[in-house]
Amino acid sequence: MSFLKFILKNPFRRKNSAILAIVGIAIGIIVIVALGGITDGLVNTFEDTIHAGGADFSISGKETGDSAYGTNTIDANWTEKIANVSGVEEAYPIYVVLTSVGDDYMNTLIGIDPEGTTLADISMKEGRIFKDNASEAILGEIYAEDNNYKVGDNIKIDGEEFEIVGIYETGDQNMAGGVFTSISKVGDLMDDEDSISNIYVKVKKGEDPQAVADKIDELYGDDIATITSVMEMQQMGDMLNMLQASTWAISLLAIVVGGLGIINTMLMSVFERTREIGVLKAVGWSNKKILTMIVGESLVITIVSAIIGSVIGFAACTLLGPQMGISPLFTPKIFIQAFSIAIVVGIIGGLYPAIKAMKLPPTEALRYE
Amino acid sequence: MNAVEIKDLYKSYEDGKIKALNGVSLTIKDGEFVSIIGPSGSGKSTLLNMLGALDVPDSGSINVAGHDLRTSKKLNEFRGEKIGFIFQLHNLIPNISVRENIEIPMYTQKMSSGEMKDKALKLLGDVGLEDKADILPNKLSGGERQRVAIARALANEPSIILADEPTGSLDSKTSSKILKLLIDLHKDKNVTLIIVTHDMDVAKLADRVIEVLDGEIISAGDESLINSKIDV
Repeated sequence: MSFLKFILKNPFRRKNSAILAIVGIAIGIIVIVALGGITDGLVNTFEDTIHAGGADFSISGKETGDSAYGTNTIDANWTEKIANVSGVEEAYPIYVVLTSVGDDYMNTLIGIDPEGTTLADISMKEGRIFKDNASEAILGEIYAEDNNYKVGDNIKIDGEEFEIVGIYETGDQNMAGGVFTSISKVGDLMDDEDSISNIYVKVKKGEDPQAVADKIDELYGDDIATITSVMEMQQMGDMLNMLQASTWAISLLAIVVGGLGIINTMLMSVFERTREIGVLKAVGWSNKKILTMIVGESLVITIVSAIIGSVIGFAACTLLGPQMGISPLFTPKIFIQAFSIAIVVGIIGGLYPAIKAMKLPPTEALRYE
Repeated sequence: MNAVEIKDLYKSYEDGKIKALNGVSLTIKDGEFVSIIGPSGSGKSTLLNMLGALDVPDSGSINVAGHDLRTSKKLNEFRGEKIGFIFQLHNLIPNISVRENIEIPMYTQKMSSGEMKDKALKLLGDVGLEDKADILPNKLSGGERQRVAIARALANEPSIILADEPTGSLDSKTSSKILKLLIDLHKDKNVTLIIVTHDMDVAKLADRVIEVLDGEIISAGDESLINSKIDV
């Protein structure tokens, strides 16, 4: 029998105690893996959302508040003014109105230049982008699905027939239920070609979007407001940082609780095996070998816990996550983190009992009843 | 050559209140069978612990199997290579097989798993338990367990076997068998055998009987038993 096999066998001599220790540590690992998967999934979704639209930030009227899709308007000539601000690459106006769409008495109709759709957070699922000033529209996938519209169908918008030329998908829930057409067509329908709702702005390569937005605020802050994706990203980033911090806090808690559990288990084990440790010393085992044995046994418990916890955490998140609208993402980093924590807990938890065992005088250990 | 050379050995506990060994001097030859007798608390187990490097003296000199135990830094290596211990209780590890228990001392040697297994099986043959190799110790009788403990003591081919009341927990019939086995192994392998016992019948089997009282050796030869003052 190899020394390793001996170490693998020992922790399960006291089955109940070993199982309790494994359950305790595995719960911590489940939480670490599940939270890690959820956090990474949220980060991934968020980054997809942020990077889907090419706009770095949008501009709205002061009274619109912080919504990027408010229906209050600003004068259309703001587009040119913003486009001329240094650092701005492109500026496309959008015109958001609430009007009758299909059978809906009121829905969101978004007008944008066909070329400006690259700055919106949409991507075509089917069909194509509408042409400028044509009676063509594209529908959000939720709206199209809910109302059974397909590409090629007609839809009545504000009393006028439009052809549905495409279906788009988006990570933005506000837009998923809406309809896009060209901004000039919306101007026609509203009989107001001098108003717009927002301006999508993309900055030049190498420019800091926040710095450009600050410049616009400085120049025109009395009349308009900038809503930066960067800011949204920072807010979201803060939230994700909090989530990640809480994952680490829970990891730390798992280390403390798991560590105490394993210390207790291993101390009990050393206590119950006092005579045996005495015999091991008598037959020539060095203190280093006894320390290796006890820390090794502790590691066996925590690594088994890490395997069980990782499998359960992964399975639970994968099965339950989609039902709760979460798409967890499991990267090797999460499992490396879980196993690293298990190993740290194993070493810390085993070290103290191992030192206690090392310090046992052999004569006392052999006399122990 | 002498297996044991002890001179003026002193050991006390509890800040000198208990004098376990009080100026003990003793010589034991290689291959000798010696028994140490004395009442409880006389110091005989302390003496045995000193011989096995399980404890260190306060003063005096102690040389066992050519090793000066007062200056040696690697007492565990000395124990692993030179000494085989047999205790009153077998102290076998319950969750591993009989054979694996015998392999435990071999972990201190550079041996492969296969070599360890072969050696353990041979030792089991020596103690008459070759057919019990793969069972757990709790399936054995008390005598069989003590046989396994003897095989374990011989695992690293020690030059000295130290047995502390090896038959203390056995019935008389089993005791006789175990003692016969020990004596046969001592003769076959030319191992120095030192037994600590309360039992005069056991002690008399030795080449020489050493009597210990109040931490002192009061007799180092069997003729002294004739006028022994010790109630064993």
